[in-house]
Amino acid sequence: MEENLKWLWYAFGTAWVLHVLYLGSLLIRTKKLEQQLQNLKALIEENDRKT
Amino acid sequence: MVAYSAQRNAETVSLVGVVCTAAMLTAALYLIFVWAPNELTMGVVQRIFYFHVPSAFTAFLAFTIGGIASIQYLHRRENRYDSLSVACNEVGLVFAVVNLLTGMLWAKPVWGVYWAWDARLTTMLLLALIYGGYLILRSSIDDDNRRAICCAVVSIFGMVDIPIVYMANRWWRTQHPQPVMFDSAGGLDVNMRVVLYCTFVAMCALLWVMVRSRSRLEDLRRESDALRREVYAR
Repeated sequence: MEENLKWLWYAFGTAWVLHVLYLGSLLIRTKKLEQQLQNLKALIEENDRKT
Repeated sequence: MVAYSAQRNAETVSLVGVVCTAAMLTAALYLIFVWAPNELTMGVVQRIFYFHVPSAFTAFLAFTIGGIASIQYLHRRENRYDSLSVACNEVGLVFAVVNLLTGMLWAKPVWGVYWAWDARLTTMLLLALIYGGYLILRSSIDDDNRRAICCAVVSIFGMVDIPIVYMANRWWRTQHPQPVMFDSAGGLDVNMRVVLYCTFVAMCALLWVMVRSRSRLEDLRRESDALRREVYAR
């Protein structure tokens, strides 16, 4: 019974760790892209002001 | 003003969606660990079934939507279909990997081995590899249009493998048990069937949240690429 319970927790843990890691990676990638977009927009505005 | 209002509405829908998904997943966990009856032969380890099987069907659903979006992209050449396709295929791959890993962790105490090269397991692994290849292909082509067209073809090719995976344990003799979902002859207890379907609905909600976030990421990437091109063009 306890031996089987161990496998249940391994499977359950694996499933949720994978989902949480993927959601975390989505959040990090989104934040990075938002930052890049802000930097690019600022660069374009600066170029516009210079010209 | 209209754009701002639409963005606020989208954010509210997202927030409500995330809260509902969290509630559904919590309810599913309660059903799996408290409400579902113990299976007589395998005992408590059989509860892996409640996230192993819905993960597979959620992956199938995601890949099918991704494939249909790819067909739409090839037909209409609108970027939103490409965004939907990549979002569904990437999230579908996460669910497929969860299905494969939970299956291995269930097989070890029940079959005595983590893996058996039977038709169901092999076709599912092949499906995951096709979508792994899809993501590698996606990151290796720079041109937006070429990338979208090549990936749409692979996505449609991957979608064709889904019925083969589903039918594998009917067409060939396999170590994997016979289908129980969407099959009246599955011999599954009514309470177990209720838990299975509830978990499937909760996972579909999780799929929706993930696909929305991934589609948004793809739109941001496209916007960022366009701005970068504008900067270099000056």
